[in-house]
Amino acid sequence: MLQLDKVRKVFPAAPEPYVALDGVDLEVADGEILCLLGPSGCGKSTLLNMLAGFERPSAGSVSCGGAPIRGAGRDRVMFFQDAGSALFPWLNVEENVRFGLRVRKVPKAQWAGIIDNYLRMVDLDRHRNKFPAQLSGGMRQRLQIARALAVEPVVLLMDEPFAALDALTRRRMHAVLLEIWQRTRKTIVFVTHDIAEAITLGDRIGIMSAGPCSIISKIIDLDLPRPRDLADSAVARIFNDIERLLAPDIARSEERAAQ
Amino acid sequence: MRSLVAERMSVAEISKGKPAAVAGRRRPSLAPLRGFATAPGRGFLLTAGSIAIAFLSWQVLSTFIFNPFLIPPPLEVIRTAIPMILSGEILADVSISMSRVLVGFTVGSLAAIVFGVLLGRLQLLHDLLDPIIELMRYLSPTAMIPIAVIWFGIGELSKYFLIFWGTFFIVLVNTIAGVWRAPIARQRAAECLGANQVQIFVLVIIPSAAPYIVTGMRVAMASSFMSIIPAEILAADSGIGYLLQKSSMLLQTNRIFVALLTICLLGFVFDRIFRLLVARTLARFMSFVAVT
Repeated sequence: MLQLDKVRKVFPAAPEPYVALDGVDLEVADGEILCLLGPSGCGKSTLLNMLAGFERPSAGSVSCGGAPIRGAGRDRVMFFQDAGSALFPWLNVEENVRFGLRVRKVPKAQWAGIIDNYLRMVDLDRHRNKFPAQLSGGMRQRLQIARALAVEPVVLLMDEPFAALDALTRRRMHAVLLEIWQRTRKTIVFVTHDIAEAITLGDRIGIMSAGPCSIISKIIDLDLPRPRDLADSAVARIFNDIERLLAPDIARSEERAAQ
Repeated sequence: MRSLVAERMSVAEISKGKPAAVAGRRRPSLAPLRGFATAPGRGFLLTAGSIAIAFLSWQVLSTFIFNPFLIPPPLEVIRTAIPMILSGEILADVSISMSRVLVGFTVGSLAAIVFGVLLGRLQLLHDLLDPIIELMRYLSPTAMIPIAVIWFGIGELSKYFLIFWGTFFIVLVNTIAGVWRAPIARQRAAECLGANQVQIFVLVIIPSAAPYIVTGMRVAMASSFMSIIPAEILAADSGIGYLLQKSSMLLQTNRIFVALLTICLLGFVFDRIFRLLVARTLARFMSFVAVT
């Protein structure tokens, strides 16, 4: 579905250009959840921005369904961590979902049905007249999900969408997301720096090395049934493996941040 | 630097206009006063009290301490005001001044919004014009009076121009700041949902900038009230400023005070009307500012 081939991304910076990614190869299969896990500043978001089409690679290719990505596409929708700024605060819940239908020129007759369907899916149909400021953090993220699903994308790109939520709400959001995924089988690329989150959600986990010149250093297949319990010994072993794998990179990224 | 100031100003301004429920929550709770703090009509009572105290001290000071010719006592001012109101003299001056403010303010705001939105969006244009704007905005409307009279005479046009001048730069700077602050995530989200560049601009960036624009307009409204008076004092044959000037020439301090009180009332009433209009029509664009 999604393919990155020898992707390099250089940002202009003083005194010298910053090489964020250098030779990233990745393939995301149809209908899978791929989690990208890495220390902060490793270029996870840059990678996601390139998949979304917000940024272009400096070298290498990024493609979706075989076609190179040249800009934001109707088949890929991005999710943001800060729902407060990603949502349209002057539109109520229903109108936020309607926005995409309107700009995509979906026939008006279908609007009500689509809106009802997705608001019910994320359990927001009772709050349809509220404005984002009147919703809780978890509800705002659910609204982002409904708004995105309503335009029927093939790929969901999620940039640490639940990182700002409290732990209990985050767990609930994981369940919501997995349930929706099981129903719709969207392809999901999920960026996170939380190992537990990656294990809970992912079919595979791509581990990224610390920047500069980050690469996807390892791909871990999670052949485990869901829901996954972190207390389960097989899951715990993977958790520990990943933690050990990430440790030197976390140290490196911390050192770089301190400079 | 400038945008920082604009932001601070706007946050302060907006929080003044936020709904009473939100304002009430932030108020420190003083246990003994709690009953009064939440009593209905409390605001009205306090305002009435404040005005009553002011009038009382004014009356006492001007009767017993100061020369009543220099500071005419309030009762004297009211006695002067009644025939001026009944004859329609005040109303005529008020309406001419207000029509000048409204025309200059409306045209100035519209021009500034259009221009500001463009400048906020087109980086090159902004970088090209910003230095000039930065210099020109120090030319207050008052500083422009002499040249305005030469350009436009002492008729309506020179007053429209001066109010326009005062409004334009304030609204412009706020509009640019608002456009700049439209969150990238929101624009990208709209792009993902299928919006094209024009739609992002009209449906996302401008609504995101609305609170800043409205704040700029409120400040500009106050500034218009400030600048219409010197404009009319120096270059007019009608309006409140002219009334002030004429009364001063004739040493009619009573009439001067009537004019001054009128200015206070008008400014206050206009700001209330503006806020009411904003609350009625733009509430959904303003409400989120106080929260997020």
